[in-house]
Amino acid sequence: MKYMLLLTRGEWQENGTEDERQRVFGQLMEWFTRQRAESHVVEAAQLQPPGTATTVVIERGRSMLLDRPLLEAKEAIGGYAVLEVDNLDEAIAIARTFPVPDGKVEVRPVVER
Amino acid sequence: MLDRVFREEAGRLTASLVRLIGDFDLAEELVSEAMVEALEHWPSQGVPDRPAAWLLTTARRKALDRIRRQARYQEKLALLAALSDEASSRPDDRLSLIFTCCHPALSRDAQIALTLRAVVGLTTQEIARAYLCPEATIAKRILRAKQKIVAANIPYRVPEGPELKTRMDEVLTVIYLVFNEGYLATAGPTPLRRDLVLEAEWLAILVTRLMPEEPEPLGLLALIRLHLARWPARLDTSGRLVLLQDQDRSLWDRRAIGEAIRLIERAAARRHPGRYQVEAAIAAAHCEAPTWADTDWREVVDLYTLLLAIDPSPVVRLNRAIAVSHVDGPAPALAEVDQLAGTLDRYHLFHATRAALLRELGRAGEAAAADGMALELTRNPGERALLEQRLAMSEPTEA
Repeated sequence: MKYMLLLTRGEWQENGTEDERQRVFGQLMEWFTRQRAESHVVEAAQLQPPGTATTVVIERGRSMLLDRPLLEAKEAIGGYAVLEVDNLDEAIAIARTFPVPDGKVEVRPVVER
Repeated sequence: MLDRVFREEAGRLTASLVRLIGDFDLAEELVSEAMVEALEHWPSQGVPDRPAAWLLTTARRKALDRIRRQARYQEKLALLAALSDEASSRPDDRLSLIFTCCHPALSRDAQIALTLRAVVGLTTQEIARAYLCPEATIAKRILRAKQKIVAANIPYRVPEGPELKTRMDEVLTVIYLVFNEGYLATAGPTPLRRDLVLEAEWLAILVTRLMPEEPEPLGLLALIRLHLARWPARLDTSGRLVLLQDQDRSLWDRRAIGEAIRLIERAAARRHPGRYQVEAAIAAAHCEAPTWADTDWREVVDLYTLLLAIDPSPVVRLNRAIAVSHVDGPAPALAEVDQLAGTLDRYHLFHATRAALLRELGRAGEAAAADGMALELTRNPGERALLEQRLAMSEPTEA
């Protein structure tokens, strides 16, 4: 079963020192390499900062653009990963090991057809 | 009689069906339908020799009927056809059900509602009445939880290894909260809800039976039973709440107290102390004292110190301070209580405790103000009556 992990940008990423960011990114690379090797992560990506986001709003068939991300700044999404595991407990167990000093991980099941 | 059969069998049957067909809604509906059929037939035709088997057969027949109509359950057909008496009595099914209902990915409210619905077998209406919620709110809460269990694939299993302890804490917390709401309702017309306490007792019995090696469920069961043993003394003849110190101890059920204390001893023999065992030991210390004045306060303080090491929460510190006042006097106790001012500002018993200590110290004006604060913060009718009475009695001494 597939689960999407939505990863927020933590304090370390927003306001941390360059040294801290480098250290955490190093841990993240290692983590993703290991999760991919164990076939838990099937897809993952880091996103450019929220300031680069454009939101397309569709209303009654017409569309307009907003020069900002979907979500509030304090919970800006910094990346995502798709897991392939047996159940929610396994997905949560992996999410808990996400190696950042602070941040949130939303675990959302993916509809399978 | 019917009630007991239903209670015992409904949970068991639901658990077996959930395991087999992996669908909460369907399992519950089938069990309710079988119960309805039993209610229609048993009173006139008599209770069958083996009521459990009768219910199982009926639920299975209904399941097969329904599944034939629903293509997406095709693959479950074979499983159901194989469902036998033996399968329905697999002891671990209900345990998996409890752990699933109390899964940490569900909100506390959802865990409680789902456990009362699926494990205890209360109707949505009964749960709504117990928690003074509109029935639609409870129904929506349960529906959302079930949908999440299915969509997110929350596994139906008893956790193992290091996970077991934290997951069991979750289950015991749910039972404890049901007990607590019954012990002293947060609101509503009745200050005490014995029905909810009995549901909590039943759940605790179930968990102790399913996990006989674990000491904490025994501790929780003992705690609930000690409070039940004191129940007849908790209200006076006009239905007003009576504080522990003023209770008529001849109304306490001595036999039940003795049995609960044996449960604590059985748990203690496992040598894994936990918060429920310690809370039960504190309740036992009160139950064993012939009068309030004869309470072994030294022991009570020691037990609270132990509890504080396990659960360093401000409410435990508050309770410990009360015990301290009986050993060292009101002044040092008040000093401890005052340290909690920031964290417990919104907790009525913080203010009520301060009021009692201030009154002992002869500071009547401050005591009345603290009682007033407490009164503003509780909606329990019994507690409100007590506080109002205390305020009325203290008025003449106020400057």
